[in-house]
Amino acid sequence: MNSTAFACALCLLLGAVQTQAKVKNKKTKPALTASQTQQNGAAEARLIAIYRLIGKGDTRTALKQAEQLLKTNPSFALAQLTYADLLSAQARPLQAFGDAPPDQRILGHDTLADLRSESLLRLKALRERPDAGTLPSEFLKLAAHNKHAIAIDASLARLYLFENRANGPVLVADYYISLGKLGIDKRVEGDQRTPLGVYFITSQLDPKTLKDFYGSGALPINYPNVLDIKRGKTGGGIWLHGTPPGQFSRAPLASNGCLVLANPDLLSIVRQVEIRTTPVLISKKLKWVPAASLKPSTHEFTSQLHAWLKAKSSGNLTNLATFYAPDFNHNGKSLSDWLPTLQHEVSTWQGKSLEIKDLSLLRWVDTHETMVVTFGEVARGQRSGQTRRQYWSREGTQWKIFYESVAS
Amino acid sequence: MKLTRTFVLKTLRLLTMVSACAALTSHADDYADISQLLQANKFSEALAKVDSQLVTKPADPQFRFLKGVIQRNMGKPAEAISTFTKLTEDYPELPEPYNNLAVLYASQSQYDKARSALEMAIRTNPSYATAHENLGDVYARLASRAYNKALQLDNGNTAVPPKLALIRELFKPNLANPRPVVTAAASTTPMPVAAPATPSAPTTAPVKPVSAAAAPAMPQTKTVPAPVPATVPVNASKAVEAAVMAWAKAWSAKDMASYLAAYSPEFDPAGQQSRAAWEQVRTARITGKSRISVTLSDLQVKLTGETAVASFKQAYKADALSVSSRKTLNMHRNGDRWLITKESTGR
Repeated sequence: MNSTAFACALCLLLGAVQTQAKVKNKKTKPALTASQTQQNGAAEARLIAIYRLIGKGDTRTALKQAEQLLKTNPSFALAQLTYADLLSAQARPLQAFGDAPPDQRILGHDTLADLRSESLLRLKALRERPDAGTLPSEFLKLAAHNKHAIAIDASLARLYLFENRANGPVLVADYYISLGKLGIDKRVEGDQRTPLGVYFITSQLDPKTLKDFYGSGALPINYPNVLDIKRGKTGGGIWLHGTPPGQFSRAPLASNGCLVLANPDLLSIVRQVEIRTTPVLISKKLKWVPAASLKPSTHEFTSQLHAWLKAKSSGNLTNLATFYAPDFNHNGKSLSDWLPTLQHEVSTWQGKSLEIKDLSLLRWVDTHETMVVTFGEVARGQRSGQTRRQYWSREGTQWKIFYESVAS
Repeated sequence: MKLTRTFVLKTLRLLTMVSACAALTSHADDYADISQLLQANKFSEALAKVDSQLVTKPADPQFRFLKGVIQRNMGKPAEAISTFTKLTEDYPELPEPYNNLAVLYASQSQYDKARSALEMAIRTNPSYATAHENLGDVYARLASRAYNKALQLDNGNTAVPPKLALIRELFKPNLANPRPVVTAAASTTPMPVAAPATPSAPTTAPVKPVSAAAAPAMPQTKTVPAPVPATVPVNASKAVEAAVMAWAKAWSAKDMASYLAAYSPEFDPAGQQSRAAWEQVRTARITGKSRISVTLSDLQVKLTGETAVASFKQAYKADALSVSSRKTLNMHRNGDRWLITKESTGR
């Protein structure tokens, strides 16, 4: 039977979806509610529903739903491919997902490979969903003013959007995302790779000022960041942006290094997140850990931070200088250039003790361990102070500051 | 697999009436009574009534059919299969028993058998078969267009429109039908519910009509390369086999001259088509395909003097379509050649 053969051709994919559903039940976690599904890329949810119907052998309903999906999203190539398979299944048994006739298979070889890979990644991301209450291990601590945070898992071609609520960050949506043509770990300008690291959204570009190619808008991030520059990485202009007209989604590896989302998904992010305060973590593979398990690391680091604060409050410059790395660099200034600035700051405090407010700690681990620290530095008795950002690097058991700056 | 099976059970529909026969029967009342019992799930009563009818009318297709339905509903699939199988043997022109056989086979996960049975159901009527094949072609073209969109290919490069076969003549009730009538009771040949091709079809349907002018000149006058060894009276059945193989080869090669020449002038096309109309349909059908492969197996020849019956299993593949069926060719000797006088599918 055609439907059976087609179901077999897709069984790998669908096994995936069904397993995920089972796991959900076992852990008595609520399945995605309708409104969540709506938010998490409505078109993708409809495509997955069609896959499920195919898995059940109900190709007739699947065909109808694919027709409807294409009415609202005519440029969703993966849906178009599924529709083509469903039509073919009416006339002949299918051997594989995307079973185009030979001439089309040859002509569209690369696109077909991309679509299969997109399909697998979308399903993989649904199968390997993070457990409730877990966070990427990089998000040690978000400040109250970090209303949102974004984490990207390159291995799943997935963007996770968090809302920072009173009792911590909550995953509110996740979307399929395309990365650089040559993958990840950007090093030099023009290498067509997406950078890995901890970044912030720096601005929002009005789609009216952009070429159609960028779709519904763009959110640039601060690549190269201080750590990247320290390591001699070059290039820039890494944005989160949408898709051109006539292309609902792009292949998993398609951009020159940017992070590309379907237009409705990008719009949903643009409407929610704030610029400057929204961190964007880009990881090869996210490690999800229970939020509580991050506390020891947070404590360990904050004790060092408070030691630095105490040294600064005390006004002992020699003591304070020990918290700074020998290769400290503030926009070209070495530590010896920077010490007079510190000296000046310390003298203005005149022994007043300092407090830290709205602390955010983002950890980045590769060959080294880096902490991106942002906080408000307020003298006791004052209502406001300065926002300070520091990059700390772990050296043995000690953390040292290799960059700091003050924003008003 | 479990899910798939449930689906098949849900969607393969068991027919509970032989519709073509039911309307014009002389014992419609008995039939209706039993149908009602069946609908009320009173299977034992229904079975008793059917059996008593079959005592006096043992060959009656409707009561035998009802019996099969009852057996199936009573959870006796093996008996139901036996009943429907015998019906298909005695009345190969009825589609309903084949359909119900397919339902039963599918419920036992015997999908290959279910598929053959459904293909036979379609083949009981040449119009169904043509419509089915046309539908397959149309789906393949729709799929091709969708693949082009999905793979961002230029639409122009694969767009040879399909040549769908136009049914030239309405399949008539048996007033003038030379085919053997089933029984006195089953007095009509099943007629397509909606005539697949009304005379207005060429203007409305997206079907490319075969123009009369395009009828291929029959190469009767030219000497067709004789596909059969000329003088082998010693082993005539070998000559029949060779003729059959040459016919399949010409079909695969889309060599219309040799293919049409394999049919005798006395060949009787199915469905009351004229010879010329039949040739047009065949030519359009065969030359419209980009690739055809016909392979035969299990070939058996029965020789009776100047006539022969060749039966075999035919695996037909054309573009996206793949159909396997049993076929019988009736042939007669015409000089030194064996020519086809009748072509039938199934037993």
